[in-house]
Amino acid sequence: MAGRGTAQRPNGAGAAGKICQFKLVLLGESAVGKSSLVLRFVKGQFHEYQESTIGAAFLTQTVCLDDLTVKFEIWDTAGQERYHSLAPMYYRGAQAAIVVYDITTQDTFSRAKTWVKELQRQASPNIVIALAGNKADLANGRMVEFDEAQAYSEENGLLFMETSAKTAMNVNDIFLAIAKKLPKNDQAGGGAVGQGGSGSRRLDEGGAGSQGSTGKCCK
Amino acid sequence: MATAVKVDGYGFERPEDFDFETYEEFMSRYLSVLVRRAKKWEQLFGSSPLEDHLKRSSKVKRYTRKGIPGDKRALVWMTMSGALARMQANPGVYQRLLEAPTHDDPVIDAIRTDIHRTFPENVFFVDAPEGQRVPLFNVLVAFARRRPDVGYCQGLNFVAGMLLLVVKDEERSFWLLDAFVGGVVPTGYYTPAMTGLRTDTRVLAELVRARWPDVDATMRREGATFDLVATKWFVCAYVDVLPVETLLRIWDSLFYEGAKVVFRVAVTMVARQRARVAAARGLADVVSAFRVAIDDPANTFAHDFMADVFRVPGSFPMATIDKLREQCERAVLEEDR
Ligand SMILES: Nc1nc2c(ncn2[C@@H]2O[C@H](COP(=O)(O)OP(=O)(O)OP(=O)(O)O)[C@@H](O)[C@H]2O)c(=O)[nH]1
Ligand SMILES: [Mg+2]
Repeated sequence: MAGRGTAQRPNGAGAAGKICQFKLVLLGESAVGKSSLVLRFVKGQFHEYQESTIGAAFLTQTVCLDDLTVKFEIWDTAGQERYHSLAPMYYRGAQAAIVVYDITTQDTFSRAKTWVKELQRQASPNIVIALAGNKADLANGRMVEFDEAQAYSEENGLLFMETSAKTAMNVNDIFLAIAKKLPKNDQAGGGAVGQGGSGSRRLDEGGAGSQGSTGKCCK
Repeated sequence: MATAVKVDGYGFERPEDFDFETYEEFMSRYLSVLVRRAKKWEQLFGSSPLEDHLKRSSKVKRYTRKGIPGDKRALVWMTMSGALARMQANPGVYQRLLEAPTHDDPVIDAIRTDIHRTFPENVFFVDAPEGQRVPLFNVLVAFARRRPDVGYCQGLNFVAGMLLLVVKDEERSFWLLDAFVGGVVPTGYYTPAMTGLRTDTRVLAELVRARWPDVDATMRREGATFDLVATKWFVCAYVDVLPVETLLRIWDSLFYEGAKVVFRVAVTMVARQRARVAAARGLADVVSAFRVAIDDPANTFAHDFMADVFRVPGSFPMATIDKLREQCERAVLEEDR
């Protein structure tokens, strides 16, 4: 389905510009905040008690980069290890992944590294991977050092940010950084799309789109 | 009244866009159905022990398909599933399972993490002081210890939570959960490899393909599989998927007729959205078609919904399901190699 073009129509998120569609998957240990990050990004909300995800949830959100509209199709997966056997289904064909850990638990960081390895081995070779050290608002319970995670990310060519779904810190930014890094040509799988999902919301805060053009756009 | 109806009888907060008109319409008809059913069950409960009455018979099957009265539901589920017999044969077992300490155990930590993430909106759970969440924790811990091969699987929190809301008794909920995982649903739904679950989502695909090749064709074209869209239907047996009244009616038959009811419901939901799914363009479109299947206000009409469940999918011989399971399980095991 990658690259399939359907009727092209601006979806209200941007001006006349081009629309690219990308499949993004969130992976990481249970309760690190995957669903919370998505909820914050798509609806601008946060729930102190977020329901455990069973299987996976699917949401869409659109961001604007200059004259380019990027539509994310987001798969928010279940974190428990036994749902692992379902994971390949979600990251297969994904152009981007956010691997999430919780900065207050070392185990979740180890698990994140395992996910990164698996993606590097099994996902599409040019997948854009971002590492999110979530729950950054709980810094006094920190167990994973920023520098350690950053060094690891550099070694592995990952985007890296510490985030907080609770305070919204870096949440839009990490999605925007991914949007910028994604190759915007047809072969990479970004397809022109039709209607924007119900979750469409213009994202232009935080300096989004203020940076220079990211290069070619999809047709 | 305005505040009273914001929460349903099982403590679930109704969504802001809850369609009260549709619901009122449903309830006004459903109440008279409930009264009629209650009378019939009263007669069934009449004389000798309940077990004798609940022996497999077309009459009881017909009765359960039309709904077990709320006040008898817990006892009937307990009896039909064998949970009651097992509880009586194992006095003190539940309490003993809870004796060991609960720290330094990753399984129990996983349970603990999910306690507050189960029906966070339900008043019986959320308004409650810390202590009132203990029953859910206890039931899941006891179960994990009774079935170490399963331990804790996310999704069981919703199943156990629902049982507690209906049965309102910890020990009974535990034995029902035990019967549910150990017999009502097929083996291998909740075990680490989830082979049974992945088998059954494929069985559903086959059932759909046999009925509606157009739906199957669209799903294949868009790379949509049932484990993508319907995992939660199976893992939670529709808890947190369908409206509570409807869910309870599904479970009435589930406890009596077994897991094929889960397929009947799934096939019915696909049938209702057949045109939408078949016409979908792109994966997102397919997924939203299934979202519509879940959110359809018509799902509130428990009685009509169940009538469809036993009519729309047509005959459902267990032999067919068993054969498909065998075939699909082979494919799943092949994939794991
Ligand atoms: N303090 C704080 N809490 C958070 C943050 N993000 C999530 N949480 C909380 O952490 C818990 C788990 O969050 P979820 O978003 O459900 O985690 P998940 O990764 O989706 O978990 P699974 O669905 O089980 O895989 C919830 O109770 C959230 O409220 C954050 O940035 N800061
Ligand atoms: Mg989640």
